[in-house]
Amino acid sequence: MTVTEIARKDFEDAVRSRMLWGIMAVFVGFMAFVIVIALNTADAAEATSGRAMSLIAQLAQLFVPLIALIAGYLAIVGERRAGSLRILLGYPHSRRDVVLGKLLGRSAVIAVTLSVGSLLTAGLVAATIAVPDPVNAAGVLGSIVLFGVAFAGVAVGISAAVRTRGKAMALAIGLLLIFLVIWDALAALTYQAVTGALPGLKVEAWYFLFLRISPIAAFRALADGFVTGPISDFFVWGLEQIPRDTSPEQLTVANRVRGPLPFYLTEWFAAATLLMWGVVPAIIGYTRFRDSDL
Amino acid sequence: MAAIRTTALTKRFPGGFRTPSVTAVDALDLVVKEGEVYGFLGPNGAGKSTTIDMLLDYARPTSGSAEVLGYDTVTDADAISERVGILPEGYGLYDRLTGRRNLEFAIEWQDAADDPATLLDRVGLDAADADRPVADYSKGMTQRLALAMALVDDPELLILDEPSSGLDPNGIRLLREIVREESDRGTTVFFSSHILGQVEAVCDRVGILADGELVAVDTVEGLREAAGAKSTLELTVDDPAAVAIGDHDGVADVSVRGNRVRITCTDSRAKATIVAALVDQGHDIVDVGAESASLEELFAVYTNGDHDPAAAEVPA
Repeated sequence: MTVTEIARKDFEDAVRSRMLWGIMAVFVGFMAFVIVIALNTADAAEATSGRAMSLIAQLAQLFVPLIALIAGYLAIVGERRAGSLRILLGYPHSRRDVVLGKLLGRSAVIAVTLSVGSLLTAGLVAATIAVPDPVNAAGVLGSIVLFGVAFAGVAVGISAAVRTRGKAMALAIGLLLIFLVIWDALAALTYQAVTGALPGLKVEAWYFLFLRISPIAAFRALADGFVTGPISDFFVWGLEQIPRDTSPEQLTVANRVRGPLPFYLTEWFAAATLLMWGVVPAIIGYTRFRDSDL
Repeated sequence: MAAIRTTALTKRFPGGFRTPSVTAVDALDLVVKEGEVYGFLGPNGAGKSTTIDMLLDYARPTSGSAEVLGYDTVTDADAISERVGILPEGYGLYDRLTGRRNLEFAIEWQDAADDPATLLDRVGLDAADADRPVADYSKGMTQRLALAMALVDDPELLILDEPSSGLDPNGIRLLREIVREESDRGTTVFFSSHILGQVEAVCDRVGILADGELVAVDTVEGLREAAGAKSTLELTVDDPAAVAIGDHDGVADVSVRGNRVRITCTDSRAKATIVAALVDQGHDIVDVGAESASLEELFAVYTNGDHDPAAAEVPA
């Protein structure tokens, strides 16, 4: 089975890369630093393990895509430029096997890296504040891993689609900025174009669907159920017309949508969205890779 | 069945914004017979590697088609890689892994039962080197390792793209030995090079590629004869009218201009015997000039022909 052969070799090769473990160390170090600072300055009563997990999830919005993209954007294009793809394809591996193998290999690398990183961070929370609720901790960890796998898929897709390292990097950074910064504004402006007004406290359900197409928003929606308090956006445009005195309770998605919550705003759907991000970009990347010269 | 057969194989690279499109391989009809050692010669940029890339499905033909061991290169690429050992141009190995690990992966990928130690020994890499990461290897060591990887699973056809690049003289000798051994076992070897001397010693037939077209296909002997055929001898003698060598072996033509005699030979070895014969006849030879087309010159003529009309003829 050549797919697993490629995946295994890729995993072995990536694990030897010091950069990956370096990034993880930075991730854990930064998490620890921010958690300790934030919780020490906050009121002692508010410093709960649930709040800490919320902070972890919030930071993960930036760090997880960054780690996954860095670990994956060279998966195929790097081998293409270095010429090892010429060796790999010289054996009975098809290009489909290569993309699939790389997808599995990098997803496994990301899953392992993020699991270890999250466990270490959770250990820090347990040591400094309180032992987090195991179910919620597992939920946050699972969300982070799934989020990482989604961006590993994006990274491998980019890597298969382009011919140079520079283009791969530009696409990776561009996509990250779009989802981190631009997407919310795009959703709000689309909402205005369709309904004639910027989104207010009560909105049409499809507005949230639009938002949650973004893997970052999907992650937020998924992890939200496992932490205390909301996970705020990384970058807030302030385009939503929300009255100042709105309570956090009124701000939940369930309360902002009229009528019962549609299936596409459930946590399950958010998880499925992340899985889709893990697969679809890789398929698109493969179709370009299949027909191109090395 | 031919080991390699291309039919009007063409590769055109589309031009960019300001660059014109380039036809790297132009309607190439190439036949490599089973069991032969075929030297694929041409200067840098002639289209050798592009041709090989298409044989291995690293690049897709613009038009035309190619078959390797009877399999179509586009639709049956996997069947080809199972049976062919490849040393491609511009390859890279896994730098972080040891030489041995790279080779083990190749054996595993090919589903072969080869012993890594035997293969390493064949290409002259010792065990200590094999246990170092490939990142520490010299170009020559890397090339030896890549050759070992190409030999995995005793392929029916070996495709070697510029295999001697980076090799020291010992390495080149070893490469020749391996090509001969493989050929003796019945393996077809397709061997590209821009240096004639390196294919001359091992190849049964040579094809010369220039600007994407095959300009000559012949045995090395045939090429040597073609090179020898038009060598000339120019003698300055005191009495040209008295020179009588028209019936000498290997003389094709004699012309006299002033006190210079110009003799065209079909066999370059005739030049020495002609000079000896004239000395025997009592001629006073003032000066001897000889021009012979070496294989290198012949190669240069074939491959520069389109660019330099003055040199289109074999040097006379």
